[in-house]
Amino acid sequence: MAEVILENICKTYGNNFRAIDQLNLSVEDGEFLILVGPSGCGKSTALRMIAGLEDITSGSLRIGGVDVVDMPPKDRDIAMVFQSYALYPHMTVSENIAFSMRLAGKPKAERKKRVDEIAKILQLTSLLDSKPANLSGGQRQRVAMGRAMVREPAAFLMDEPLSNLDAKLRVQMRAEITSLQKQLGVTTIYVTHDQTEAMTMGDRVAVLKGGVLQQVDTPKRLYESPVNAFVAGFIGSPSMNLFEGTLKGDELIAGSFAIRLQDAAFVRRPGLRSYAGRKIVFGIRPEHLYDSGLESGRKYQTLPAKVTSIEELGSEHIVHLKIDAVRVDSGDPDAVQDFGMASNAVAKFEPESAVHSGSEIRLALDDSKLHFFDPETHLAI
Amino acid sequence: MTRQKRSRSRLKRAVAPYLYLSPSLVIIGLLMLLPMVTVIGYSFQNSAVLRRDPSFAGLKHYQAIFADPVFWASLGHTLYFTCMSVVFHMTIGMIFALMLNSDRINPILRNILRVLYILPWLFTAVIIAVIWRLLLEPNGVVNSVLIQLGIIGSKIEWFSSPETALHAVTFANIWAGYPLFMVSLLAGLQGIPKDFYEAADIDGAKAYQKLIFITIPQLMPIIISISLLDFIWTMQVFPLIWITTGGGPIYSTEVLSTYTYKLAFSSYNLSQASASAVVILLISLGLTLFYIRYQKAR
Repeated sequence: MAEVILENICKTYGNNFRAIDQLNLSVEDGEFLILVGPSGCGKSTALRMIAGLEDITSGSLRIGGVDVVDMPPKDRDIAMVFQSYALYPHMTVSENIAFSMRLAGKPKAERKKRVDEIAKILQLTSLLDSKPANLSGGQRQRVAMGRAMVREPAAFLMDEPLSNLDAKLRVQMRAEITSLQKQLGVTTIYVTHDQTEAMTMGDRVAVLKGGVLQQVDTPKRLYESPVNAFVAGFIGSPSMNLFEGTLKGDELIAGSFAIRLQDAAFVRRPGLRSYAGRKIVFGIRPEHLYDSGLESGRKYQTLPAKVTSIEELGSEHIVHLKIDAVRVDSGDPDAVQDFGMASNAVAKFEPESAVHSGSEIRLALDDSKLHFFDPETHLAI
Repeated sequence: MTRQKRSRSRLKRAVAPYLYLSPSLVIIGLLMLLPMVTVIGYSFQNSAVLRRDPSFAGLKHYQAIFADPVFWASLGHTLYFTCMSVVFHMTIGMIFALMLNSDRINPILRNILRVLYILPWLFTAVIIAVIWRLLLEPNGVVNSVLIQLGIIGSKIEWFSSPETALHAVTFANIWAGYPLFMVSLLAGLQGIPKDFYEAADIDGAKAYQKLIFITIPQLMPIIISISLLDFIWTMQVFPLIWITTGGGPIYSTEVLSTYTYKLAFSSYNLSQASASAVVILLISLGLTLFYIRYQKAR
């Protein structure tokens, strides 16, 4: 067990492309840290640099207090779970799990004892003589975990280990990995592009964009207090709605409507007053928008909106809306602009909501949940 | 639809696939099966082909072949020639494929090497025979280089001495045949996921351990398939040996194919030649069955 400390880590490729820029990250002993970001943000590169599979251009990396920058992967005392699992198809489950012990020249009896212990924890005992081709996706995933666990490493590195599983199994394995990590107490760095995994699994989440660390925090704080518009848009599903507006006195003007802000909003954000008379970016999460026709929406101020389409999920309705305001791009390259220009906002309504596609509605908005960002830097105010 | 109509359409449907196959079946029958059966027939006749009404000879020609020491020598040479060729084709092909797949070698150099290594494949057997006859001449390049380097003291007559001739033709055949292995293994190597090696790096595998535990097991299906095919093909090699040594000197490079050819077209003993050809057919057939069974098992 050990802490992993990255200081000013940079990675530049031959064509001068900077994949990672000045990454500073400190993962405590036993902590479960998630590295998350859109595709191409450098999260896998960062993980591979920690593993020793990619060279570090500059900066320092310490695992358990030892500087490992110039060490080969095998000496770093880490174990990695790959996205593809990288199980050897010609070896049985037991041989796959014991592979590192075999390389280290450990006696057969010791190997078998350790493999049996791990198989018991991962419920693989009955599959030890099977080949990976005969296993289900979830079982293969567990074997990959077993192969990492067998070495009792200082840190686990996991590169999108659940991305090849179907949605239901992913939910189950998410819980399994989380509880296994708690049980073993091994420092774990987990890369994913799935923000649901990020929010549900980690003690802390590090959000990366374009090779630059945006924010490291607990999932709750990332959700409630994103440091910039990108984090605000990236964390949460569906994404936060971001619009351009102008602050006039106590009112936020956007398009043809105005939202009255309460004093608390200015007390919480001392900088907000300085934007008076200027442009500002404001955001509201879909779950903080309500159907004014329902009880839950009655107490909030409303604005006009047109329903463009509805996704009925049973437990909630995802409602795509057109409101009279200019939408702002959070900078997430993976974000899909819903239905082209037809809608510019998304809301989560309760299933009792009777709105239907094409109807003109009054949209209720919880103004205490508004987020404000600088229009130039996109930093939170 | 009446019962008669229905049964007729069912018959049509059953026959149709065989009608589609019939042109190729006829061609195979005429060009392959018919000559094969004819040769088998000849091997049981006295003075086959030469006489209009040959008499039945029973197993006489087979007994004659099996009693001929040259036949056994040819069989031994064929096995040596084939086994050495296959083993070295595979070894050299593997080494070159690993080199061409390595990212430690400069990509430009790698492309140049790729072309150089594949060159032997472009030559026909006749050209290969001529090249090696020139190179291995007593006054040829090989001798002069070896003398210059002090490896040999005097000129060696590679193809004309009974001690070296078989090794020399085997060497020429090895040189001519490794590119098939190289190309097949290279394709196989490129298909091995990189993750396997990265996982092994993290687990602490040394280069030779990666070769033994990952590369070779991953290439095994290709190694076995190509080796079996190479075995079948090399056993039947004729032109290379015929042009370089003609089976001599003193039968030292006689292989089953040259032995059979000589029986047929030097001694005009077509019956015995047919018997010898049938023996080659049986050996090839055994290997082919083995190959088919292996392919099916996969």
